[in-house]
Amino acid sequence: MNIQSMQEGIWRGRRRRWVTGVGFLVLGATLVGEGCQSVPTTGDASAAKGASPNADVMAGFFSTHCYDCHGAERQKGGYDFQTLMETDGRITDTALMELVMRVVSTGEMPPGKRPQPEPEEVTALLDALRHDQEMQIAAIAPDPGRVTVRRLNRMEYNNTVRDLLGVESQPSDAFPPDDTGYGFDTIGDVLTLSPLLAEKYLDAAEGIAKEAVTREVAIYDKSMAMHRKVLVCNHAREAHTERCADRIIRELTPRAYRRPATREELDQIRGFYQLAIDNGDTFYDGIELVVQALLVSPHFLFRIEEEKALEDPEHEYRVNNYEYASRLSYFLWSSMPDDELMACAQDGTIWHPRTLRDQVRRMLRDPRAASLAESFGGQWLEIRNLAVADPDPEKFPEFDDGLRLAMAEETNLFFGSIIAEDRSVLDFIDADYTYVNEPLAALYGIDGIVGPAFQRVPVNREERGGILGQASVLTVTSYPARTSPVLRGVWILDKILAAEPPPPPPDVPALEEAQVDPTATFREKLEAHRDNASCASCHDRIDPLGFGLENYGPIGGWRADADGKPVDSSGVLPDGRTFAGPGELKKILLERKTDFARCLTEKMLTYGLGRGLEDYDAPAVAAIVGELEKNDYRFSALIYEIVRSLPFRKQRGEPEVS
Amino acid sequence: MSNFLTKRHLNRRTFLQGMGAAMSLPLLDAMVPAAASAAQQRTVAPIRLGFTYVPNGVIMEGWTPAAEGAAYELPHILKPLAGVKDDIIVATELAQLNARALGDGGGDHARASAVFLTGVHPNKTDGADIRAGQSVDQIAAEHLGRQTRFPSLELTVEPGKLTGSCDTGYSCAYSNSISWRTETTPNPGEGNPRAVFDRLFGGTAKDLSPEAREKRRQYRGSILDFVLEDARKLQGQLGPTDRRKMEEYLYAIRMVERQLEHNEQQTAAGLEKPDVPESAPEDYAEYARLMFDLQILAYQTDQTRVTTFMMGREGSNRAYREVDVKGGHHELSHHLGDTAKIASLQDINRYHMEQFAYFLDRMKNTEDGDGSLLDHSLIVYGSGISDGNSHNHANLPVLIAGRASGAVAPGRHIKFAKDTPMANLYLNMLEYVGCPTENLGDSDGKLNYLGEMSA
Repeated sequence: MNIQSMQEGIWRGRRRRWVTGVGFLVLGATLVGEGCQSVPTTGDASAAKGASPNADVMAGFFSTHCYDCHGAERQKGGYDFQTLMETDGRITDTALMELVMRVVSTGEMPPGKRPQPEPEEVTALLDALRHDQEMQIAAIAPDPGRVTVRRLNRMEYNNTVRDLLGVESQPSDAFPPDDTGYGFDTIGDVLTLSPLLAEKYLDAAEGIAKEAVTREVAIYDKSMAMHRKVLVCNHAREAHTERCADRIIRELTPRAYRRPATREELDQIRGFYQLAIDNGDTFYDGIELVVQALLVSPHFLFRIEEEKALEDPEHEYRVNNYEYASRLSYFLWSSMPDDELMACAQDGTIWHPRTLRDQVRRMLRDPRAASLAESFGGQWLEIRNLAVADPDPEKFPEFDDGLRLAMAEETNLFFGSIIAEDRSVLDFIDADYTYVNEPLAALYGIDGIVGPAFQRVPVNREERGGILGQASVLTVTSYPARTSPVLRGVWILDKILAAEPPPPPPDVPALEEAQVDPTATFREKLEAHRDNASCASCHDRIDPLGFGLENYGPIGGWRADADGKPVDSSGVLPDGRTFAGPGELKKILLERKTDFARCLTEKMLTYGLGRGLEDYDAPAVAAIVGELEKNDYRFSALIYEIVRSLPFRKQRGEPEVS
Repeated sequence: MSNFLTKRHLNRRTFLQGMGAAMSLPLLDAMVPAAASAAQQRTVAPIRLGFTYVPNGVIMEGWTPAAEGAAYELPHILKPLAGVKDDIIVATELAQLNARALGDGGGDHARASAVFLTGVHPNKTDGADIRAGQSVDQIAAEHLGRQTRFPSLELTVEPGKLTGSCDTGYSCAYSNSISWRTETTPNPGEGNPRAVFDRLFGGTAKDLSPEAREKRRQYRGSILDFVLEDARKLQGQLGPTDRRKMEEYLYAIRMVERQLEHNEQQTAAGLEKPDVPESAPEDYAEYARLMFDLQILAYQTDQTRVTTFMMGREGSNRAYREVDVKGGHHELSHHLGDTAKIASLQDINRYHMEQFAYFLDRMKNTEDGDGSLLDHSLIVYGSGISDGNSHNHANLPVLIAGRASGAVAPGRHIKFAKDTPMANLYLNMLEYVGCPTENLGDSDGKLNYLGEMSA
């Protein structure tokens, strides 16, 4: 791949994300333009070229309803469907296709003042576009893509030392924060390693080794070897010998490296034990030094995947059994594989569909899957930002660290229940229960909950139920002293509908504050800027969604009035549909199941793979979404389809940069 | 003791042979300055470079002096600098035009911080292929850092946002760092003052006996040798991108190895050290001043000669309740002409300046060789945005403090030609520290007028 095509790839990826966040540009599409390196396709390449078999349907609709504004004469917004249909006979740019599908299906276009198409016309156009889109996706060559080697992030480090050594002191809390890419901290490309972090690794390794060995020495006489993670010998405490050290090293090293260790590697590690002994240290000091060395090794700190295509960068290959086990365990547990998973890797059964399904089910039921809720959920929903949320203490004296933690815990428990009970992912949007403790119940106005422990409670769906009614989400989408319908609207588009709007234009025209009645509500002021056409094109989509949540205050408490006036939580969507309050908003969102399924799939796949999605991932995403729908949106189906998807199983080689 | 050292080397070598590795001894050159600390050897005080960043721009009406030259009055925001007025230059019309969109659309905040010390238009990406340019502090650190335990220190009072997007389409890496070690490696700051202090003064090792300390150093050295060897072996088995990751690891480990060979207690004795709490203070002023104190300590003990400090993450939405500002900083910065918001922003700008003034006052009152620490330093203070409301990257708010051992003649307000690249200033700075550089980002030559002769 040359630099130019790399840049175009990035540009394409960015474009995809920006235009609608949902569309995948087809390779070789017109947007890429001249000079794009052709990518070999194995599908029916002709499907993506030449006029669409549905060209008549499209041209008919466009000429009747669109050409006046978006044709050869006028190109409002830069769109010219007439030339497009007359030259290509199809829409090749799938981002544009997504855009057309969205604005027509939601009634945004044609605008209300123009004659409206009959419902049958709309259906026919959407069917035609969908058919074209499927053909275009089918024409994309399967490509697993390539994941950059991943360093353990902070949560993975903590969980891994817990499972490897039984150390639960969360040592990585002292590490610098991990950078995020594509919204997640699992992205190999952005997980950098600074000298500062290397220093911390060394210090942490020393502390962890001491803690692990000291703890096991203390329980040695009272415990069986199988319950110890480091001191695995069976003999009495006084009888430790070099042979015992050998055994410890033979068992611990492969667990630390998450794969069998070579003889040479074992010898290297043994050298540390010997170094301590030669310096007059004790057996335990020697074992501590061994543990320290393992914890700083690149084989521990990084999830190294062996490059099998150095000679042939175009080659794609299945990752090896152990690498696959780690891909599974770090995805579902943010931690190392356990013995059972390692056994499946060792005998290769990990690739058998039935074993894989059983393992996924087992892993999702395991308490360690709480990390998926906390890590993926915390980042997808952005509730991790609760840690730095800063509500105005004068307005919200009840917001203390207890409430802050309770908010996060509600969402974690709720997410956890969807995993553990294998519920429909649509429950994220609306559910009839949630989890509260006393401070949170007080915020929600739920009576009879006492104490810091959480309870599952039924809720009135008009007020609560689903993530949109959770204080965590509502707080991180607010400013310190007020709500922000814009932030909340953007949040819904990005997190639920995979339709993050483009950023505001650089020359945002100032709100003509003078023309707005100073006694106007914030909502009225905000609505004023939608009189400006260049604002309205996005804010007509954003603001109504946010208005629907206005009954929730800046920290998520229910309110009927704000600033002395009744809250107006009604909204008008671009297609003219109206709703009032969060209950009706949720119903409207639930009508867009497929958008939500794709949104969640894209986010989860990004998180699990550790890289941003590219054009060539479209078939994988489409397949996962399809299976998810077939399986009643069950959470386990989403996970199972991801882990058996092409990009999750395989890796592509990488050419040398010349 | 000497016995132990002999034994140490023997053991280490034996150990390496046992691993069957043909090891070079990369530590030898680093050991020389450790044995005779640079602080003791030097006769002339070195020049220190510092860079302090403030996010979201400032209210320029309260910043830019009316008059040019030496006879100017400090405007509202700069008033706290009264005590060091003769030691600073207010530099007007410097620009970072590479922070403009240039076809990349939104994301002015991310670009502002990424460009500030690099002068390079950053690659717009959410994750893959993060790229800007090597920053001026890191070019200087490569040169000056050879003599000190840390090539540079990066500090912040607002560590990265925890999740979500920091600025449309840009990875948070761009907003969280102004320092870039290489064009692909941002250098985010440490936000925990205690951790900085421990780094400088021995941390967990400081309670150990000299013998135990020495043994610990030996063991750590062996571990580092081992992992370096492992990482080198891995290099041959990886593709180009993964190799780059492994190079990052190798570099980081080598830096730790080098620090290990410097005696961390070298010149710390007898210095007044701040009382450093276990976690960051809640009060902003207290927190920022502590971070400034730590920079002074690091300069004084010559553990580093280059520091960068972010007084807030770019795009920060912190509520400065310490000065009775309830709205978030970024939220307010889009003030749309609202006078109350502008007043609040000025309060924030001035509050930041009060902390910076504390730093400069202390630098001025800290003896260093034949003058003060401030005499032997050059500290840049500024933002990559001038007007936060419109995201303007021209006519940036910039202060240059200190004399760089006589190379700079402060005490003036200098108005440069419109849109003079800020990177030009960095060429001057690099020349003053003996590291002349032809180009940095969009530089087109060094700044005139900074030295006495040309004023």
